[in-house]
Amino acid sequence: MQTEIRNRPAFANIRVLLESGDSLIAESDAMASMSSTVAMKAQLAGGFFNAVIRRLFGQESMFVNEFSTYGTGEVVLTQPFPGDMECIELNGNTILLQPGAFVACESGVKLSAGWAGFASFFGKEGLFRLKASGTGKLWFGAYGGIFTRDVSEELTIDTGHLVAYEPTLKLKMGMAGGFFSFIFGGEGFVSKVRGQGRVYLQSRSMDGLAAWTNSHLY
Amino acid sequence: MQTEILCRPAASVARIQMQEGESITCEVGAMIAMSTAINVETAARKRGSSGGGVLKGIKRMFAGESFFLNHFTATADQQSLIIGPSLLGDIVSHPLTGGSLIVQGSSWLASGADIEIDATWQGLGNALFSGEAMFWIKCTGTGDVLLSSFGAIYEVVVDGTYTVDTGHIVAFEDTLGFTVGKSAGTWLNSFLGGEGLVCKFEGHGKLYCQSHNPPNFGKLLGPMLKAR
Amino acid sequence: MSETSFVHQPLGKSSTSADGKLAFEIFERPDFSILSVKLRTGEKVFAEPGAMATMTPGVDLKSSFRGGFGRSMGRLFGGESLLVNTYTAEQDSEVTFAPGPAGDMVHYRLRGGNLMLQRGAFVAHSEGVEITGKWQGAKGFFSGQGLVLLKASGDGDLFFNAYGAILEIDVVDGLVVDTGYVVAFEDTLGYKVSVMKGLRPGSKIKSFLFGGEGLVVDFEGRGKVWVQTRDVGPFLRWVTPYRPQKSRD
Repeated sequence: MQTEIRNRPAFANIRVLLESGDSLIAESDAMASMSSTVAMKAQLAGGFFNAVIRRLFGQESMFVNEFSTYGTGEVVLTQPFPGDMECIELNGNTILLQPGAFVACESGVKLSAGWAGFASFFGKEGLFRLKASGTGKLWFGAYGGIFTRDVSEELTIDTGHLVAYEPTLKLKMGMAGGFFSFIFGGEGFVSKVRGQGRVYLQSRSMDGLAAWTNSHLY
Repeated sequence: MQTEILCRPAASVARIQMQEGESITCEVGAMIAMSTAINVETAARKRGSSGGGVLKGIKRMFAGESFFLNHFTATADQQSLIIGPSLLGDIVSHPLTGGSLIVQGSSWLASGADIEIDATWQGLGNALFSGEAMFWIKCTGTGDVLLSSFGAIYEVVVDGTYTVDTGHIVAFEDTLGFTVGKSAGTWLNSFLGGEGLVCKFEGHGKLYCQSHNPPNFGKLLGPMLKAR
Repeated sequence: MSETSFVHQPLGKSSTSADGKLAFEIFERPDFSILSVKLRTGEKVFAEPGAMATMTPGVDLKSSFRGGFGRSMGRLFGGESLLVNTYTAEQDSEVTFAPGPAGDMVHYRLRGGNLMLQRGAFVAHSEGVEITGKWQGAKGFFSGQGLVLLKASGDGDLFFNAYGAILEIDVVDGLVVDTGYVVAFEDTLGYKVSVMKGLRPGSKIKSFLFGGEGLVVDFEGRGKVWVQTRDVGPFLRWVTPYRPQKSRD
């Protein structure tokens, strides 16, 4: 199986060349186009999910599609928003993803719902993170460009800008400034990330886009 | 007339340089900036209207909608016009040499004044996107057609068969045959709802696809906005 | 515009400036440009509320009303909030700022002149810069359509963003720009807002226009204009069918 992330960072999409025996799992709406020799089959992700958890994700249904072929074939996978994608290789380690960031993975990667704690509920993100572990490649994406910061102590992040993070980091909700700026400063609750580890961040947020759009609507 | 595409690949605009007397037809709202010696005429066509007005070759409208066009003509030499589409994405120029190109309605940005524009083409049926009917424009003649996309534009030279989610079609040569159907066709996909309509192209011809799907983006952002 | 030269903002994934007051970098250019400001202890940066994306420890955030606008609470002015967030570094730190729409960002060093900014374009400025409203007087004050302007003056750094890419145009021979695409311009230019030629007044076309489309700015004189390559009006028209519908009472 050959894969290539094209058109980074503005409209990243994955072009996959499949051969007989290959298998790729992708988020349910990710297929843009494909050769007629490729088969697409819907399935529940991870076996951990029931309808309640699926609804909690809001943006992302945890049904996924599995792509395979008997000969050779091409699939183009995309995401709903403009933005970047990253591919990381898991080797027994785990990464935590924001809902909506998952694009695709190889069949050795296991997906489950990670408990993100009550704190994240106030950030409107829901109670769950997507936990990816196992072995193989994982593709995730975001609205905006994706950049990283290696946290050594603490980093305050406007919640809509957090894409993924290593489980060595702990997430807490907080306010960016004092109470007055909480009401008027436009930031609301922010995520404070503590510990040592890498965070993947996005340079735009859907909340920011919605706020900008709403400011023009009457 | 010379066309140059700037600010690629995600916020592309077309800069058109015209000499006196040259003209181009564009979707309304596309004008960003222009020199001062350019004449603009706006025309609207409604279904059933027999035409009249300045634009050549605009056939009847589709489903009662009005299709607004701007016709720009330079009244001096060395005039520039910059146009762009509504959504982020790219622009490509497709040269027509007598054949026809079927263009997804919101991907048609502009075409040379000698190109015939038929907005009643319904070959793909009334494909619905969130309750909104898509419309298709058939461009025939000689000259350039400027296509815009939501996302990156990629070309597929179809030689056999190729399947595209209908929200990802930008344009295709009318030498291609096609059938529209549901995607994987399993009970799960029907349960999940969503359009999931795909178009299977066959034969020989060029197909322009976009990497991103406007309805999927709209369905994600829409619920976060003020009610209407 | 025949003599006018076009300079697309220099590409390259990031940019800084040797003559900036603040140490900054604009990266993820040109489609999702984000501003990183590295503050030394005691330094301040002023930003549009809601723009902060990340902040290292030791930055004090205060929200306050901009000077000179009286006591009107919460009224949106020029598309920007009457409030401004002041970030003061208590230790060396980094703050990043991201606007709402996808697009590019420009750093402009003010040195005594004035820069006019369209609604929604302001991101941040350094100490030494003052932002005020430009009351149009006889030209009328358009809210929600046409030109809604802020004026930036003083000596320091100004950062403004666009929806889409930014074309920097040196006007020499006149320029007509649809109002929705004007981001900023030097006030050495004269400008006039009018209805675009060819549109028949009172026709049905007016109802098709959303938020000022059909209005254009005629620039004259010499100076720079920054034009964006996308406009919020068409974007709003496109997204409206996806918005929730008010339930009828």
